[in-house]
Amino acid sequence: MSTSAKILVVDDEEDLELLMRQRFRRQVRRGEYEFYFAHNGREALDVLGENPDIRLVLSDINMPVMDGLTLLSQLAEIEANISAVVVSAYGDMANIRTAMNRGAFDFVTKPIDFSDLQVTVEKTLRHIQVLEDALVSRDRLVALRQELVVASQVQTSVLPAALPVTEHFDVHAQMTPAREIGGDFYDFFSVDEYRMGLVIADVSDKGIPAALFTMVSRALLKAAARNHVSPSACLHEVNQLVSQDNDACMFVTLFYAVLDLRDGNLRYCNGGHNPPRLISRGEIREVPSTGDIALGIFMEHEFHDNEVVLGVGDALFLYTDGITEACNVAEEEFGEKRLDEMLERTGDASISDVVAEVVGAVEEFAGGVAQFDDMTCLAVRLNSTKPA
Amino acid sequence: MANQSNLTVPSVEQDNAVVLCPTGRVDGTNVTILQGAVRERLEAGQANIVFDLADLNYISSAGLRVFLMAARDLQGQGGRAAFCNLSEQIRQVFEITGFDKILSVHGNRDDALSTF
Repeated sequence: MSTSAKILVVDDEEDLELLMRQRFRRQVRRGEYEFYFAHNGREALDVLGENPDIRLVLSDINMPVMDGLTLLSQLAEIEANISAVVVSAYGDMANIRTAMNRGAFDFVTKPIDFSDLQVTVEKTLRHIQVLEDALVSRDRLVALRQELVVASQVQTSVLPAALPVTEHFDVHAQMTPAREIGGDFYDFFSVDEYRMGLVIADVSDKGIPAALFTMVSRALLKAAARNHVSPSACLHEVNQLVSQDNDACMFVTLFYAVLDLRDGNLRYCNGGHNPPRLISRGEIREVPSTGDIALGIFMEHEFHDNEVVLGVGDALFLYTDGITEACNVAEEEFGEKRLDEMLERTGDASISDVVAEVVGAVEEFAGGVAQFDDMTCLAVRLNSTKPA
Repeated sequence: MANQSNLTVPSVEQDNAVVLCPTGRVDGTNVTILQGAVRERLEAGQANIVFDLADLNYISSAGLRVFLMAARDLQGQGGRAAFCNLSEQIRQVFEITGFDKILSVHGNRDDALSTF
C-alpha cells in the first residue's frame, strides 16, 4: 500500500511524543508511519473523529479525564475498524487482562522496549491489513450478490410468462439458470393467425451486461418478427442493430423459426446456435445448418433461410449448450449423443415429459456438480394442422 | 473459484509473432486469465498473435468473446490474430457459432504464422 499507516499514540507523558518521533524517525521519513498524539481518552476520540483513517491506537491505561480502559470501551462502541495496543506498567496484569477483554489486540509494558514496540506495531498493522482486505472482499461479495439478484430478475422477465395454447400444438419450455447468471432465452409467439414464431438463444458471457444484451436481443427479434415473414430477414435486422457500437464484442447465438400450422412447414434461420432436433416417428434428426453465424460479430453477414416439414405428431426440440456441455465429476460432458439417445427413448411421451426427462437426465448425469451455464430447452409438437 | 487452476496460457515468441497456447478449459470463471494474457501482449504493442489451441479442451462463449476482441484489437493496432490446431470439439464450437468464418483459422502453427 502506498499510503502511510496512521498511528494514534495516547499517553499523558509529554516526552513520549518526542521519543516516538525519534525512535521511528526512519519509518516517518520513508512515509510508512504517520503519528498523531493525544494526552487522554477524550482527546483521543477527538483526534479519531477528525482522522477517520487512523487504524491503530497505542494507548496508556492510567490517564486523567478518560483512562485507556474507558477509551477501549468507547472504541468498541463506535464500531470503527481500529486495533488498539495498550501500554501498561510491568506486572499490571489486572489492567492488561481487562484491556484484552475489552478488545485490545495486544499489549506492551513500560518502561517501553522500543524494539519490542516496533515488532508489536508491525504485527498489528499486518493484522489490520488482513482485516481491511477481508472487508473489501466482503463488500465485493455483497455487490456481486446484488448484481446477481438484479440479473436474475432481468433474465426471468425476458421469458414469456405463459406459452400460447391451442389444440394444434403442444409446447413446453424449461430454463435452469446457472449459479452465475447467463443469457439464455426462449420465446414462442403468434406471428399471425396461422404462424407461430419459435426462438432459442444464448448470449455470450455472464452478469448484468449479458442480461441487458439478452433483453435487447429478444425485444429486437420480436419487433423484427412483426416486420418480416422470413426468419433470415429478421436475423439480418437484429444482427445489424446489435453489431453497432458493440465494443464489448458481445454476441448471441440465436435460432428462429416460423411454424406454419396449415401445413407444418418450418422455415428457419440458425444464427450460430446448436442445431435443434426434429423428432419424427422415433427418429432423431438434426435441423440442417443454414451456414450462418452468431449475431453481433459481423455486420455484413448475409443470413439464409431453410425449411423442414413437421408431420402431424412430429416434434421439434431446441436447446442451449448448457444441456450438452453439462459436466459430471469426471469433467465429462453430457454431449449430443446422450441427448439424442434420450430423445429417442422418450417416444410418444407428452412434450412436457420429453423436456422433463431430458433435464432430469442431465441433472442425474451432472450428479450435483454446480454448472456454469444456464440449461434451457423448448419443445413443440404438432398435433394437427389448422385448416386454411 | 475452483476452475481457475484449470487454465494456463503459456506463450512463445516465434518469427514476428507471439504464440499463446491456452491450456485446459476456458469458461466464465477463469476467462479473465485469458483476457489478461491477451491484454498484456496488446499493451506491449505486439502486432500478431497466434492462438495455438492444441491443448484447449473446452471453451465457453465468454472465451470466444475474448478471441473476438483480440482479433478486433490487434487489427486496430495494424496486426492480426490467427488460430490453429483446433481439436475436434473446439472446431465444432467454431463451426456452430460461425467463428470459423470470421476468424483466421489454420491447420497448424506454421500455416498460421505464414499468414502474417
